[in-house]
Amino acid sequence: MTRYYFRLECLRMLRDPRYLALAVIAPIGFYLLFATLFGGKQPASGQLPGTIEIMVAMAAYGAMWGALSATGPRIAHERGSGWLEQLRAMPLTGRQVLAAKLAAGMAVALPALVLVCATGAAVKGVRLDAAQWLALIGAIWLGSLPFALMGIAIGYAVGSETAFPLCYAVYMAMSAMGGLWVPPSQLPSSFQHVADALPSYRLADLGWQIAGGHTPTAADVVVLAAWALGFGALATLAYMRPRRTQKSTTSAGAVSKTSPAVSASA
Amino acid sequence: MKTVLDRAAVAAEVSGHEVGAAIRLCGVTKRYGDLTAVDDLNLEIATGSTVALLGPNGAGKSTTVGMLMGLVRPDAGETLVGGRAPRAAVSSGGIAAMLQDCGLMPGVTIGELIELGRRSYPRPLPAGEALELAGLSGLAKRRVDRLSGGQVQRAKFALVAVANPEVMLLDEPTRALDVQGRREFWTAMRAYAATGRTVVFATHYLDEVEENADRVVMMARGRIVADGTPAAIRAKSGGATVRFRLPLTQAAANDPLPQLAAVRGVVSIDGEWVNVLTPDSDAVVRTLTHSDLPWQDLSVLPPSLDDSFLQLTGE
Repeated sequence: MTRYYFRLECLRMLRDPRYLALAVIAPIGFYLLFATLFGGKQPASGQLPGTIEIMVAMAAYGAMWGALSATGPRIAHERGSGWLEQLRAMPLTGRQVLAAKLAAGMAVALPALVLVCATGAAVKGVRLDAAQWLALIGAIWLGSLPFALMGIAIGYAVGSETAFPLCYAVYMAMSAMGGLWVPPSQLPSSFQHVADALPSYRLADLGWQIAGGHTPTAADVVVLAAWALGFGALATLAYMRPRRTQKSTTSAGAVSKTSPAVSASA
Repeated sequence: MKTVLDRAAVAAEVSGHEVGAAIRLCGVTKRYGDLTAVDDLNLEIATGSTVALLGPNGAGKSTTVGMLMGLVRPDAGETLVGGRAPRAAVSSGGIAAMLQDCGLMPGVTIGELIELGRRSYPRPLPAGEALELAGLSGLAKRRVDRLSGGQVQRAKFALVAVANPEVMLLDEPTRALDVQGRREFWTAMRAYAATGRTVVFATHYLDEVEENADRVVMMARGRIVADGTPAAIRAKSGGATVRFRLPLTQAAANDPLPQLAAVRGVVSIDGEWVNVLTPDSDAVVRTLTHSDLPWQDLSVLPPSLDDSFLQLTGE
C-alpha cells in the first residue's frame, strides 16, 4: 500500500500544471533562451561550452524545484487540511508516509532534469558519452536529496500560507547565489565563497565536473551530504514536534483554502 | 506483544466481562495542561449499536475519538476496541474513523483515493461497493478537489467504509453541510449500520441524533452527563407541553382553571393561550375532553431534545 500511496503522490504531481510550468517548462525555456544568447561563444580552454554549462545549471534548477515543491508546500497544505491526520488514522505508519513523500519528491525531480538534458541533446547539439550522461543525470538526481529533505522540514515547520513563498524564496536565492543564473566564476569573490557552501552550486558542480570529464570533487559530495544531514535533522525535529497545536493549524488551513496565495502552492 | 494482547482477550472472555463490547473505555482521562479534556470516562458500546456522542464544543468528543484511534494517548485508564489496543485495531481494520475536518488527498480521483483505502486494510470491501454505499457510483473518475461539500463528506465516508471496519467512528461528519447533503450522508451511514456493524458518531445536531442513533451518550466538560435512548434523554427535560386557546373573558383567564387541578403539571397563561408543562400529556388531554372548558386549537408538543441538551450540559 505504501507503493500505491507513493504512486498517487507522483501522479498528482505530474497532473499539476504548476509543477509542469515551474519545474519542467521553465528550466527548459530558460535553457533555450540563455543557451541561444550566451552559448555561442568559444569557451576558454578548460571551460565548458555555454550550451553544456547552462544545460547543467538548468537541469539542477529544475531538479531542485521538483524535489522542493513536491514536499514543502504540499505537506504544509495537507497538515492544514487535515489529510495527514486522516492518514494517521489509517494503518499506514507515519514513517511510511514520510518515506513515500521523500521518494515522490525525488521521483518528480527526475523528469525535470532529464528533459533539460534531452533538450540540450536534441536542440543544442550537446554531445556526451553515454556513461557521462548517466553519471551526470544520476549525480544531479541523487544530489537533489537535500532539497527534498529541506521541503519536508519546511512542510512540517510552517503553515500552508508560508510554505510556498518560503520554498520559492529559498529556491530563488539559492539558485542566484549558487551560480545557476550567472556562472560562479563571474561572481565577485565574496559571493564565490558563499556559493562554495551552497547545495545549489554543489549540485550544479557535480554536473559540470562530470560533463568536463572529471569526477565530482570531494567538496561537492561533502557539502551536499552535510546539507542533507542538516535538513534531515531539521525535518525529523519538525516532524516530531508535538501535535498539540494541530487544532490551530487546522483552522488556519480551512481559511487558506480560499486564498489565492495558497491555491498557487497546492 | 501479540501474545500479550491475545492473552488479554482470552482473559476478558474468561471473566465474561462484556465480550460483545465493541468499545470499552475504563477510567479514561486526558489532560492538556490545566484543561481536562476527558475526565475519568467509563463507556461500553455494544457490537452492532449505533451510538451518538452528543455534546457542545469542548465536551471531549474528538479527544475520545482520538483515543479510540490511538492518535491521542490517555493519561490514565484503559481503551479497548474489540478487545484490542486501539492501534492494533486500526491496523487490522477493526476500527476506522472519519476525523473531524479531515481533508482528502488533493489531486487524485475518488477512485484512486478509495483504492488507497482498499489496499491499506486487510479485509476491505470492494471499492465499487464502498462507492455505492456512499452514493458515489459513477463519480470514481472525478478529482476530489472538484466535489461538492456533500460529495466530499461522502467520499470521506467511502474511505472509511472501504476498510470494512467492525467499528466505524464519524466525528461531526455533517458539519457545514446543507439539509440535502446531510440527508444523503445519513442514508449512507444507515446503510452501513444495517449490516450489523457498530457506528459511533459525534455531533451537535440534535435532530440527527433522534433519527440515526439508538443510544445517546451526552458529554459535557469531559464527562458523561446522560446516557440512554433518544426518547429517554428527551424525557429528562421534564415532559411535554399541552397548548390550547381559551377564548374566555378576562375574568376567566385569571381563574387558575380548577378543571385542571387534578392533573400533574405547571399551568401558565399567556393571553388566550394556555400552556401546561406536564410529564403526562395524555392525562391532561383526557381531562380537557371531559371538562366543560371551551378550548380550541389544542396541540401537544413533545419534550424537546434541545431542552434536555441545554439542561444536561449546563450550557
